Amino acid sequence: MTIVAPLAISWVGAVALALVDGRRPAAGWAAVAVLAASFVATALLAGLVLADGPRQMVAGGWAPGVGIVLRADALGVLFALVSSGALLVALVHQVLDGVGSRAFGALVLFLATGLNGLFLTGDVFNFYVFFELSMLASYILSCYGDEARQLSAGFIFAVVNLLGSFLFLLAVAAIYHVTGTLEMEAVAQRVAGVEANAVILIAIGFFVAFGIKLGLFPFHFWLPTVYVSSTPAVAAILSGAVANIGSYGLLRFGAGILPVELELGATVLLVLGTASIVYGAAQALSRRTAPEVLAYSAIGQAGYVLIAIGIGGPVGYGAAVVYAIANAISKTLLFVSTEIRGPLVAAAFAIGAFSVAGLPPTAGFFGKLELFRAGVDEQSVALVALVFVGGALSFVYMLQLYQHDFWTGEGRHAQGEGESRLALRLVSFSVACLVVALGLWPQPLLAAGQEAARALGAMPA
Amino acid sequence: MTLLFALAVGVIFGSGASLLLKPDLFRITLGIVLIANAANLALVTSGLERGASPISAAPGAAVSDPVVQALAITAIVIGFAVTALLLSLAYRIYASARTVDLDELSSAEALRAEEEDSRELSV
Repeated sequence: MTIVAPLAISWVGAVALALVDGRRPAAGWAAVAVLAASFVATALLAGLVLADGPRQMVAGGWAPGVGIVLRADALGVLFALVSSGALLVALVHQVLDGVGSRAFGALVLFLATGLNGLFLTGDVFNFYVFFELSMLASYILSCYGDEARQLSAGFIFAVVNLLGSFLFLLAVAAIYHVTGTLEMEAVAQRVAGVEANAVILIAIGFFVAFGIKLGLFPFHFWLPTVYVSSTPAVAAILSGAVANIGSYGLLRFGAGILPVELELGATVLLVLGTASIVYGAAQALSRRTAPEVLAYSAIGQAGYVLIAIGIGGPVGYGAAVVYAIANAISKTLLFVSTEIRGPLVAAAFAIGAFSVAGLPPTAGFFGKLELFRAGVDEQSVALVALVFVGGALSFVYMLQLYQHDFWTGEGRHAQGEGESRLALRLVSFSVACLVVALGLWPQPLLAAGQEAARALGAMPA
Repeated sequence: MTLLFALAVGVIFGSGASLLLKPDLFRITLGIVLIANAANLALVTSGLERGASPISAAPGAAVSDPVVQALAITAIVIGFAVTALLLSLAYRIYASARTVDLDELSSAEALRAEEEDSRELSV
């Protein structure tokens, strides 16, 4: 029952709210309340899973192996918790700012349902269904604002990601063909006995599908257009919650189900990760406006996650989880702070910038630190140097952005005069407090990361 | 048999991919429809075997795999929803920009950005 709660609450809420006019403040706050309830349910589930180990449930009371499996392990609940949190922050931000479309609240709830579902499912095809549910919601959300440029950015976003989704579906079909099952654990067991060539093709299919979602270097071209034309809350949703699908998918399908193939492709992952980091940082350095810099920075940050997965092993996977989570939180913070001004906001933005650059005392510092540790364990000078140079570059571009937007007159002028509402600023500031709190007391985050890496290792290879 | 289906999937996917590269919103939508159906066909193929339908099979007789049918119908419904979404998006873009040509759309976008820049400079 506890596994179903995070899903069911947001699902029922989404269907109910789809019927009412979401522009009224009352409907907006109802959406916030439902999402908060789902967040609390996820947090309770996360507490149970981290304390007692994974939980499993077969839908409809079927015998195991027949029915569809819902499975909550440390990796899944961690990503579910972070994504719901990011959605909650973005939704509160948007409701305080005034919702301009009928369906905004309901769509965010549908997105939450899809995300919770795919993080908590133990079935490959069900993963696809929840994945499509959340992506459909995010395609519509990326058009929020209804101007021509948002609509065409939304169209490009939808087409590119649909191509990724159908590649994923083809890979699912192929994996069913070679293993005869869709349950993740059984797939992981049976795939070892399958002809290697077939499995490598399937692994490439999964990799491309999640690479597109995450915005990795050769698949990144859709990302800047979409992030730049979306409103801040939507950009926060895309980078703080939807991008998690990519990191989670690479970890679950790569490290969890196809570990042998992942090891074979480790060099490719390291090269693509390096290219992402260098390309993202170089592009971000040359941009002026906050959404552009943050969009290219997102491409670079995806590279770090890829490198950590490429290093592999418990240390590498743990680093990937910690990095992905720290990055999701800091990107949410930065995007919701971009268009508001006044006391507290500059501080919140600076904390987010420090976190992206990896300076203490922020959550991002421990993401980078774990990566360093993985690089040192691997005894690779090049990797350690890359992480250091990448961090230095991100410090430069974030500082440039901060100067332009908060110190000099031009940035302030472009954003309009006057302070934003106190409540909006408090939302950003409380996320900033969380980033600092995780930086000062990182033990829970690091322990959860290790637990998640262990959950991956526990899947039979 | 599997080879034949695999070839069909390849041809449909290829046609869809070539349509995706056209600078026209409706062709792109059609390309996605073809790719979605290539994936559906691949799903059906993945469990292809000869046999009676499981609901009325004689005891001991070969049955066909019902799972792929269930997967395919789900995927078809999702593909249908996605097509509807893309078409409505394309229509909205047409309604606001009066064109479905991607090149024209991006040049209109560049013009708008230039205007905005010059307005900012003049202030």
